[in-house]
Amino acid sequence: MDTHVLKMAASVSGLLKPWTSRVVLVRWSRYNPYYLEPEVRKEAYNRPETELSPEDQEERQLKTLRPIKAATSGVTSSVFDDPVISKFINMMMRQGKKVLAREIMLQTLENIKKKQVERYHKATGGQKEEIECNPYEIFHQALENCKPVVGLASIQKGGKSYQVPIPLTDNRRRFLAMKWMITECKENKHRRTLMYEKLSQELLAAFQKEGNVIKKKHELHKMAEANRAYAHYRWW
Amino acid sequence: MLIVCMSSALHRKNLAAAGPEQFTAEFVKKQIDEFEVGKRHLANMMGEDPENFSQEDIDRSIAYLFPSGLFEKKARPLMKHPDEIFPKQRAVQWGADGRPFHFLFYTGKQSYYFLMHELYGKLLNVEKHQDRLRAKGLFSSDANSMSLGMSRWFTKEELEVSLVETISTHDYTHFVQLMERLLSMPYCSLEQQFILQYRRQLEAQSMHQIVQPLQQDEKGVAYSSAEGLRKTSRSSVVLRDCGSGRVTVNGQDCHHYFSVLQDREQLMFPLQFMGVLGRFDLKCTVSGGGRSSQAGALRLAISRALLSFLSEKEGEAMRQAGLLTPDPRVRERKKPGQEGARRKYTWKKR
Repeated sequence: MDTHVLKMAASVSGLLKPWTSRVVLVRWSRYNPYYLEPEVRKEAYNRPETELSPEDQEERQLKTLRPIKAATSGVTSSVFDDPVISKFINMMMRQGKKVLAREIMLQTLENIKKKQVERYHKATGGQKEEIECNPYEIFHQALENCKPVVGLASIQKGGKSYQVPIPLTDNRRRFLAMKWMITECKENKHRRTLMYEKLSQELLAAFQKEGNVIKKKHELHKMAEANRAYAHYRWW
Repeated sequence: MLIVCMSSALHRKNLAAAGPEQFTAEFVKKQIDEFEVGKRHLANMMGEDPENFSQEDIDRSIAYLFPSGLFEKKARPLMKHPDEIFPKQRAVQWGADGRPFHFLFYTGKQSYYFLMHELYGKLLNVEKHQDRLRAKGLFSSDANSMSLGMSRWFTKEELEVSLVETISTHDYTHFVQLMERLLSMPYCSLEQQFILQYRRQLEAQSMHQIVQPLQQDEKGVAYSSAEGLRKTSRSSVVLRDCGSGRVTVNGQDCHHYFSVLQDREQLMFPLQFMGVLGRFDLKCTVSGGGRSSQAGALRLAISRALLSFLSEKEGEAMRQAGLLTPDPRVRERKKPGQEGARRKYTWKKR
């Protein structure tokens, strides 16, 4: 509790309102740092006291004392709402056309389901159990397969810049996987194929660990392996 | 109650070098007496009881007698207790012979160093007590550690106010570190009163929620209304109990008004979160803003109206889900010298 308290900024009473900063900083948000992120899932509130670890109990107590940010307009507590899918839709969106991005995502998932069900009905008895029909499962698994394990950073040393292998955070890995998927589907397609068609093809390929995105991931891994000698240039 | 007269004599002095204006203790005392007398006069003028005239009554009377259209609240006529207007100042720190009273006067921050000196003394005291217990063999490492409850240390500003002198951030961090060290000792409850002096109680955020009162119409059906806002949209919602989940927005059905699924999801979010989807009828009005901001404004209004039907715990769950905070994000203005809010003009080398 005291460690949280020590991190508090200087004046507390001024922090309890949404922040209007007269000085415009480069990267700032309309909320002041005192506000916590909202927890939208219903299950988090149904857990009884006994199930919680000490850190969870501390966090629960902290939440009762601090103001909470408003939930964004893309999230709901419904079972159909997936944070990964929402993030993917936002990344696909261009010029603020959320409606179109959502449509594409919906059609992609429908397409995946259709293809898988077709394959299911054509398959023989033993193979039927192996075919995954849930499009959400396929999406998650495909994204997992596309995530790189190490990344490369350009570090300047002695006048030359080297590509140094570095560990990546979870957020960064997820971002790279999604970005590769979207760029791949936007660029490497025939001009008559629609986005959702190409996207469903790529996702199914990634699910089977084939396809261009997986190839790109493997190339990155090979580069990192090749530049293994420069790993000690990283200082963080 | 302060009459300021400027004369040419004052203009010759270097006013900036003199520092902030110093008010003597007798002057402030005189101001307090005048304030008390003036308060009674004001109460008599307004025809109210002079004995129970509170600060809110004073503010109300002054706003009535001296109406001001000025936008800056601090520029309007004001009558407050002199302790709030004149900053707390230190009395003269040395006697007639020029010798200072406090032994730490020449450090420059006598109260702060005195506090640190006392604090360290208490630390040594607790250590001595622990050694004595250890000698007797009665020492136990988890004996009666203090229960702080939900409290926090004084902030730097509050510490400055209590010491009546300025301290730097480094000093403040040092103070907090030493306090934490005192707290980490098992027998710190010896100095409980001293420690609690420098802690402030935190109150739960749920106390700040304003719950709309539940009203009843002629047939006995309970309903409540609330308002919500988001960006430039303003909405108002009437939540009626014993309904079938029908939603009317500006006279139209919600499927007509909000053709996008995302907006309808946002409307249903608070009801789905609480699991009361089919129970209420909604009658909403909304104006201003775009499609998404109208949906956000309605969501806030629905959550606020729903509060009156729910228990405190459920209300707290809604607050932690982020349903009851008005979203402060608004469109950022365009700045001169830039093309938009963030986008700069193309940089040309020459």
